[in-house]
Amino acid sequence: MDNLTRTDAQKRADDIRVFRRELERLEDDRVMSLTMQQRGVLTEHHEHLLSQFIQAYDIDRDVQAKQLSLGMRIASFLGALALAASVFFLFYQFWGLLATPWQVATLQMSALATFVVTVWIQHRDDSGYFAKLAAMVTFACFVLNISMLGQIFNITPSDKALIPWAGLAFLLAYTCDLRLLLAMGILCMIAYISARVGTWSGLYWIDFGRRPENFIPAAVVLFLFPQFIDHARFTGFAVIYRVFGLLTLFLPVLLLANWGAGSYLELDSGIVEGLYQMIGFAGSAGTVWLGARRRWSEVVNTGMVLFVIFLYTKFFDWWWEIMPKYLFFLVLGLAAILLLLVLRRLRTTNYRLLGAAP
Amino acid sequence: MKWSRTRTLVAGLALILATNAVALIGVAYNRSGEPESALKLTQRELQLPYEWGLRKENSGISLALRWRVLAEVPKGRYGMAGNYAGFGGAPNWLDKTKLATLGFDVLEPEDTRLGRMRYSKILPKEVLLVLELDGPTYRTALGQAQEDLQKEEALLKANPGQKEFEERVKNTKRRLHQEEHQYSRLFVIDAGLDMTSLRTKYPDRSHYAIVHGQIQPHIIETNHKPKLAGYVSGLSITQINVPARYRGIFESLQKSTQANAYGVAVSPFEVSVVYGNRLEPWITEARGTKD
Repeated sequence: MDNLTRTDAQKRADDIRVFRRELERLEDDRVMSLTMQQRGVLTEHHEHLLSQFIQAYDIDRDVQAKQLSLGMRIASFLGALALAASVFFLFYQFWGLLATPWQVATLQMSALATFVVTVWIQHRDDSGYFAKLAAMVTFACFVLNISMLGQIFNITPSDKALIPWAGLAFLLAYTCDLRLLLAMGILCMIAYISARVGTWSGLYWIDFGRRPENFIPAAVVLFLFPQFIDHARFTGFAVIYRVFGLLTLFLPVLLLANWGAGSYLELDSGIVEGLYQMIGFAGSAGTVWLGARRRWSEVVNTGMVLFVIFLYTKFFDWWWEIMPKYLFFLVLGLAAILLLLVLRRLRTTNYRLLGAAP
Repeated sequence: MKWSRTRTLVAGLALILATNAVALIGVAYNRSGEPESALKLTQRELQLPYEWGLRKENSGISLALRWRVLAEVPKGRYGMAGNYAGFGGAPNWLDKTKLATLGFDVLEPEDTRLGRMRYSKILPKEVLLVLELDGPTYRTALGQAQEDLQKEEALLKANPGQKEFEERVKNTKRRLHQEEHQYSRLFVIDAGLDMTSLRTKYPDRSHYAIVHGQIQPHIIETNHKPKLAGYVSGLSITQINVPARYRGIFESLQKSTQANAYGVAVSPFEVSVVYGNRLEPWITEARGTKD
């Protein structure tokens, strides 16, 4: 029990539910039946396990509970964003009326107090919904804390502020098992690494977004990170790293495939765009292949969506002006059907066409 | 890898406290010792915030630094350059040689394809900029405004009764008045990478402040020939926070804003702005004044 995560417990509970249903069917079809004693022992064992899981991890016992959980997750996410915004505007409304020492003390105390409260809640809230709310407010308070210190004392803006923000987001994410905070930390790290890469080429750090290639090193770091650090105990963390890594790589490529002037490369815009279009097609196709080989469904799906976006962007470039619109959309539809056929073939062969192990 | 509650608490609290400590030590260092420069600015150089959108929800007051660049007016162009504060500009002194001293690679001739491409791709770089308050550059701008008025009046004299020239004289008079009484007298007049040499060149700390800002090379067309020039694209700090003790002054000024003879809002005040060791400003004194 000690080594189980909430996801492991939920998976076991789901398995128990499926097992019970199948056993009922087998008994109805007279394939097999348990004796009263066996049934009693089995039911007692399962009930004991389920009650332990519910007590320790607040898992969903049945389908209805699961549906309700999804609603709670959405409510928790929206509530976290709303509370973070509320904290921001609350301070905004009153900070100008406070003397500087009180401003500083209020900012620091809000970050410290919300952090302590988050840790306290996390140990009492096995569901994680309330911990997520509190963690998001803590992160907002800390971001507000540092950015407002910059405003109060007219500090020169610096990308270095992104490091402690990322640090706190990762700390909350890993200790409270919160994917939302992991995403926040990842976004801070993307911005920091990209800004650093930009400054190496001599530009002012705030302008890092004006050269999309600045994002590529951050993308590589993110994608490879879960390969070197085991994330088995953190549900969905490796998936988030890989998806963010892919988006951080391919969105700049997509941008450069249509805006060659934004590249560092001293080549004609047309050549740069062509180059990045090829990288986009080859890269997204390669991503699907890699995802299939490693059985990373999120990588396959992200690669497929990116491939379709690259394809449709090209179709738009080539044919939007010259084709009648009915024909243009017909071509899009036919392309979608072709993709469906390819995907169905991949599914029926269980990705073996892409070299995945049987 | 899951941490105990105590370790999480210690790590988080240490992170928050250490980050605050680093920021506040930086502030203390900036404000320690003799100020790097101290300027007396007025409503001409500092702009009160506008009350609009989410700004209405903000109880804090920050003054926006209105800085200018004296840019050359192309011959035959009607109007004056450098009137607009805070939007940057391409001054004459920021030429190819100056860009090279600021660390930009300017070896490629600008009239080649590679040169045009290379220079169009260079993004702003952070350097040290020299701000001059009410100095020779402002007087040059004032002189240009007076000269423009004389030219327009001469044109009207040569074309009496023509509406276009009457209108041009009226507009130029308005601009001269604004240059004399309203436009900022704070100009970016030089740039460099070395603080000491800039301060040696501009020793008057009450009229010359050295600040962080950004410069970007760009190509301009002069007589149908491409020419590499520098563009002052911004200052790193453009907003100066008003401490709570001076809040009352600016709040009442915002409410009692009056219009001058040309219909432009005027809220007269004087503010002492000091730049410290890290070239970060703060307000040491503020008071409302009569226009």
